[in-house]
Amino acid sequence: MTAQPYLSNRRLQRIRAEYFGSAGSGLLTLISLGLIIGIGWAVLNWALLRGSFTATATQAECMAKGGACWSVIAVRWRVILFGIYPYEEQWRSAIACAVVVVMTILSCLPVMWRFWRLAAVWGLGTAAFYILMRGGYFGLIPVDEQQWGGLALTLFLFVTTSVLGMPMAIGLALMRRSDLPVIARVTGIIIDTIRSLPLLSILFAFAIVLPFVLPDALTGDKLYRVIWGGALFFAAYEAEILRGGFQGISKGQEEAAKALGLPYWHRISRIVLPQAFRLALPATINQIVITFMETSLVVVVGFVELLAAGNTAYQTGEWKFAYVEVYAFISLIYFSFVFGLSRYGAYLESRMNAGQRKE
Amino acid sequence: MQVNAPAIEIRDLNKFYGTFQALKGISLTVKKGEKVVVCGPSGSGKSTMIRCINQLEEHDSGDIRVFGTLLNDNVASIDEIRREVGMVFQHFNLFPHMTVLENCTLAPILVRKSSRADAEARARHFLEKVRIPDQADKFPGQLSGGQQQRVAIARALCMQPEILLFDEPTSALDPEMIAEVLDVMTTLASDGMTMVCVTHEMGFARKVADRVIFMDKGEIVEEADPETFFTQPVNDRTRLFLSQILGH
Ligand SMILES: Nc1ncnc2c1ncn2[C@@H]1O[C@H](COP(=O)(O)OP(=O)(O)OP(=O)(O)O)[C@@H](O)[C@H]1O
Ligand SMILES: [Mg+2]
Repeated sequence: MTAQPYLSNRRLQRIRAEYFGSAGSGLLTLISLGLIIGIGWAVLNWALLRGSFTATATQAECMAKGGACWSVIAVRWRVILFGIYPYEEQWRSAIACAVVVVMTILSCLPVMWRFWRLAAVWGLGTAAFYILMRGGYFGLIPVDEQQWGGLALTLFLFVTTSVLGMPMAIGLALMRRSDLPVIARVTGIIIDTIRSLPLLSILFAFAIVLPFVLPDALTGDKLYRVIWGGALFFAAYEAEILRGGFQGISKGQEEAAKALGLPYWHRISRIVLPQAFRLALPATINQIVITFMETSLVVVVGFVELLAAGNTAYQTGEWKFAYVEVYAFISLIYFSFVFGLSRYGAYLESRMNAGQRKE
Repeated sequence: MQVNAPAIEIRDLNKFYGTFQALKGISLTVKKGEKVVVCGPSGSGKSTMIRCINQLEEHDSGDIRVFGTLLNDNVASIDEIRREVGMVFQHFNLFPHMTVLENCTLAPILVRKSSRADAEARARHFLEKVRIPDQADKFPGQLSGGQQQRVAIARALCMQPEILLFDEPTSALDPEMIAEVLDVMTTLASDGMTMVCVTHEMGFARKVADRVIFMDKGEIVEEADPETFFTQPVNDRTRLFLSQILGH
């Protein structure tokens, strides 16, 4: 019974010691508090208290209330989420988004980490996504890839880029540490070349230049070429991250596996990769987040992903004034995905460290 | 694998690191069930020699036969030998991301194609034998050095090898943990395991070894039964080494 006041007393003492230890730090604490409260209040006031939420509000009405004009979202949200996808078919795009999200969540669950389970999830998920988006089957009207857009496109680009890129990264990283010097060196040159090119130029090369070099049948739609380019870029960086992970594993690990008679693939898949991934996890999550952000670059080769769709959403006529609201809305979408990713990364780290003590 | 062939037969083994010759014409035969202790100063090539036996190091010339099977570049022969030859390392080299039980069952399941139930039963049997039956679900990082080394021994035993190689199994351990590992090794020896041990534990050598081998500068300098080795060493370098290590 006496523990409670004692505890809160202790906490008060700590707060006093850490934030009000001296006149200077006390002053800083007060100023920071003032700023936080001031900014928080301003945002709250603008976004909620004085915001207009009705779908019918005009610019004048919003101005009169003096806050955010969320009406632009209420009116234009379908453009932001689905881009120029045909209006009556946008339910397909919505389901496709849900498919990608479910697919991603499923493959994040440790119970799914078996080759066949992941393969099933990805095979079925991608097929469902493609059939929904592309149409042409089951009486669905065909929709050209050029018309895909908004959140659905962003999610599709992100997921396919990382899912294709990760095995490529593992392959490159393993070839780079090959016992055969030729393979190791050539792989090193390939990785360094890709890393020294800006992503923009790679996307251009794959979207525009590749069709001149390769026959049509080999290249597929521009969308898929862009994805392969993005995946290659991701793979080069992730391969280097994994190399860092490999270097953190003592040579004795592979020797012990050899001495037990484990063949190469088992040594790699059971001993080396799990430990390398654990060491490389923070940097890998970082790279995946960057990949998510960089999907917005596909706008330069003519795709209307989430950010570009947002631009078109306010640029028509009467909503030109409401760009802050649109960007705030898009930021919120980006934030929720990236925040989810980084929380998942933290969960993975704690899961991998559970029960293990570093020597 | 021929049952009547010597367990290990090394003939005129040479090994180079660049231009440096780490092994100079080593020849050695180990009979089935024999226990051989290898000692010698640091850098004399002890590790290199026993690591050639399971091809953790590739030799440059000479023959190594394990139960009659010649070790050459043929990957299949290397895999076959590694199944029959277990190894215990100075730094344990347990897999830190797996529990003790998983460490012990991994290779039997993947290499010997045992069922999980069989592999686990055998793992528990050998964990009991090395006297840590109750740590099966812990991770290696949660065990003391002596316990880790005994798990490493159990892990090697789970493959049911014909031969066990030890490379200074106690030299990374605190003094109070050395005895528990040596006890386990002594038990194994009395069970009839063929053992090649690189170690400087001369008490263990006296008690367990059938033969003691002294290496220096990549050569086998002296080879004798423990009694002769410790009381009447022939070679000057052996005498010098013994006087240093026994602290005379
Ligand atoms: N990978 C390597 N590259 C170059 N030289 C090596 C390599 N491994 C070992 N050597 C050299 O070969 C010689 C023999 O090494 P080895 O490890 O077999 O000695 P050791 O008798 O086991 O010594 P210690 O008692 O210190 O373990 C040493 O001179 C060492 O420097
Ligand atoms: Mg050594």
